[in-house]
Amino acid sequence: MNNTQISEEERDILQEIMNIAFGQAAAELAEIINIFVVLSIPYIRMIEAVDLPDYIRTEFSEFGNISIVEQNFWGDFKGTALLIFPAGSGKELISLLDDTPPPVAGSQSSDILEKETLMEVGNILIGACVGKVAELLKDVVTYSPPRVIVEDHPDIMMPKTLFDPTNSAIILKTIFCFNERDVHGFLFLITSHKSVAWLKTALADFMKQYE
Amino acid sequence: MIRKILIVDDSPISRKILKSCIPKDREYEFVEAGDGLAAVESYKKQQPDVTFMDLTMPVMDGITSLAEIRKYDAAAVVIVLTADIQTKSIDKALNAGALLVVKKPPTRERIQDALSKAESVRRKTP
Repeated sequence: MNNTQISEEERDILQEIMNIAFGQAAAELAEIINIFVVLSIPYIRMIEAVDLPDYIRTEFSEFGNISIVEQNFWGDFKGTALLIFPAGSGKELISLLDDTPPPVAGSQSSDILEKETLMEVGNILIGACVGKVAELLKDVVTYSPPRVIVEDHPDIMMPKTLFDPTNSAIILKTIFCFNERDVHGFLFLITSHKSVAWLKTALADFMKQYE
Repeated sequence: MIRKILIVDDSPISRKILKSCIPKDREYEFVEAGDGLAAVESYKKQQPDVTFMDLTMPVMDGITSLAEIRKYDAAAVVIVLTADIQTKSIDKALNAGALLVVKKPPTRERIQDALSKAESVRRKTP
């Protein structure tokens, strides 16, 4: 096992950390907008960075259009968070944040409100989840402002400063469902190869407290 | 007196973490299950004194498993150990008969405290 690969045990530890982090994120969202989030078991996979855009396109090929909230994070733990919903989910979520009736569908104000809703939900989920992963691994991260792409084709551009196509990336994926609105979403945390060596040490340190 | 502990979690790491948090002052016998259905079967076979139960699991989730165990044994002492700390999830677990809900990751203090409560409930049970 070299320093750019993760072992099965490291993957299991990362999966548990993601599970804890997303649980925290869901609880924060539930607290703020009074929604129940149905959680699933997180999925961890290591792939070549050059294959990332194809991987994501394949994951969402059946959805057609999707809405994406994208946010980069930097610390020793660094990468990109992608919160992905089938297009139109933002409209379903608007009423959760605002009691006033939603504007007419297709109007400019409706599109703006949908973007703002996705941005708000994305901010809470990504911030709480990435923040908790970082906290459990004794790191501190900073974030780029979130970028929202609504009803666009899933043409994800991985930032070149974070994802050298010749290296590997770790994908942490969790699927969730907003019960009251029957809206499914996906959260991907994609960590750059620069994080892998650090991550291996941080995971070992995390487990040391339980020896 | 608690002697046998059933640990139910699909994550082997999570089971290992929990075991490391259980006080070493006494010799416990551990039984493990990787999903809710295996937990029900294991409970019936092993009759543990205390069960630690995760909520988000494959095959059968923790709430269903907890309800099944309590249907089989109304005095079953089940402590839910979960990352899902939404108020509604905690309420569901308590309504299904959990003694208490402990959030992940566990600490030695929280687990010791949970075991003390379990011990006290078992003492009161005829």
